[in-house]
Amino acid sequence: MTDNILEIRDLAVQFKTDFGVTRALNGISFELPRGKVTAVVGESGSGKSVTANAIMRLINPPGKIASGNLIFSPDGGTPFDIIALKETDPRLVQIRGDLISMVFQEPMTALSPVYSVGNQVAEAILCHRHITKQQAWREAAEMLVRVGIDDISRRIHQYPFEFSGGMRQRVVIAMALVCNPELLICDEPTTALDVTIQAEILTLILNLQQELNNSVLFITHDLGVVAQTADQVIVMYQGRVLEIGSVRQILKAPLHPYTRGLLAAIPALAKKGQRLETIASVVGDEDIETPYPLTRLKDGRQISLSPQALERIINE
Amino acid sequence: MNENLLEVSNLTKCFDEAPVVSDVSFSVKSSETLGIVGESGSGKTTLVRCILRAIDPDSGTILYNSQNGWREMQVLTNVDLIPLRREIQMVFQDPFSSLNPRMTISEILEEPLIIHGVGDKSSRRKLVLDMLAKVQLSKDTLTRFPHAFSGGQRQRIGIARALMLRPKLVVCDESVSALDVSVQAQVINLLEDLQEELGLTYIFVAHDLSVIRHICDRVLVMRHGRVVEHGLVENVFSDPKEDYTKLLLSAIPSPDPDIRLRPEDRKRLVL
Repeated sequence: MTDNILEIRDLAVQFKTDFGVTRALNGISFELPRGKVTAVVGESGSGKSVTANAIMRLINPPGKIASGNLIFSPDGGTPFDIIALKETDPRLVQIRGDLISMVFQEPMTALSPVYSVGNQVAEAILCHRHITKQQAWREAAEMLVRVGIDDISRRIHQYPFEFSGGMRQRVVIAMALVCNPELLICDEPTTALDVTIQAEILTLILNLQQELNNSVLFITHDLGVVAQTADQVIVMYQGRVLEIGSVRQILKAPLHPYTRGLLAAIPALAKKGQRLETIASVVGDEDIETPYPLTRLKDGRQISLSPQALERIINE
Repeated sequence: MNENLLEVSNLTKCFDEAPVVSDVSFSVKSSETLGIVGESGSGKTTLVRCILRAIDPDSGTILYNSQNGWREMQVLTNVDLIPLRREIQMVFQDPFSSLNPRMTISEILEEPLIIHGVGDKSSRRKLVLDMLAKVQLSKDTLTRFPHAFSGGQRQRIGIARALMLRPKLVVCDESVSALDVSVQAQVINLLEDLQEELGLTYIFVAHDLSVIRHICDRVLVMRHGRVVEHGLVENVFSDPKEDYTKLLLSAIPSPDPDIRLRPEDRKRLVL
């Protein structure tokens, strides 16, 4: 058994447009360690969400997975390549909600407005397990209580519009966790929420992760959220991985100029009255724009830099 | 000490009998940046919309120190408000829905000048070009439509449009919230540069407390339509007096992994 739940190897995703082929992912590679939280950070268009969708094989035309492997190793099961699965393979259903599941950014669009929340959480169970409807509703109720929905006998029959944004996101989390997935993907789960509600939801996701001991892929553009959730951090830019390291390596001692720029742009870290650093000063740098392969350094982190820049860092 | 530009007293606005803004009083000094923070539904946007007279308040007074002396905004008719509209402008949150997709950037920027009868075609063109340079956009953007621009570029266009009439007071309603952190940094820097260059006064509405701390001089904390705390940013952030402010501050995730998030329990606080 390997200690990685998922290994992404040379994953490339393209979108065909009127203006030619857009390469959303240019052959990215990284691993998700089992039982840990891995955060993917980057700006809009860096390929974060495309990565998440590719893992669940949710890339639809005009997009397509051009190449690569996604080796998924379920606990105690045989590893298999998600990309090689045929459309009729039952494992494809398993990776969509059972073994792997996803929490989406917009709790309003992730829920159907015409079904009660109990119905929607129970449906997630009934899709994957052969149990009675009554049993599914019982389990749905248990999960909803676990994510912090009070007054469950009344609330379970209510519709998403009767819930606040934070409560809706709790329902989405319940839906994602009700089959106890081995890998939970959270795609900007708190971006649409107020900071106080964000803190509650982050605490909830982390507590449940500790309890259920599943692996989490956390996609966000907020480095504050990364610092509070992640064990490992992947920095992405324009469909490539620029730096991989532990949360302390990336946030306290970033080596890549792009990662440094990203951190310097956060108002919280800048002195008041001082101008904020902008990425503009590093974008266009050869080190960022050229797709150098990832090199593993002595401290375990991986970085994409020119040979000259690498040498400078190693000598420092 | 700068004199006051705006004095709001006991402002109240209800929607269907439900008070959305209740009994809010504050003042804004010339050339300062006042922040307004609060969660969704706290009444921030309704408050600034009342100040702009985009909606009419139910009661209270809004005194504005215009070029021609103090004006009581809440009693002015729409016609009397027109000269004040030049002095108070707004930058909106969503850089996508706030620009007309069927107008070129040139038309978008010229429109406020035409509405207020400023200059002739050639002098307006010059003003548009000047403003474009101020927000660091190139000349060839003029003939293009909003869809051709990124979120950050659109927000620059929104800022340029707000500044075309050389306002004194600019209300920024969550103007940097929809932007990536790096683009957000550029727009914040731009807003600060323009403030210095043009002597602007900002009312800055945001839910992101770190943005408020970075650019504001004073801050109002709102909850359920009321001001729960106000004061200098340094004081409110380092020594919050109200439990609700403490709750808000404790919820900010620090980008330092060694400072753990410990949000105050909402239920434990007597709010």
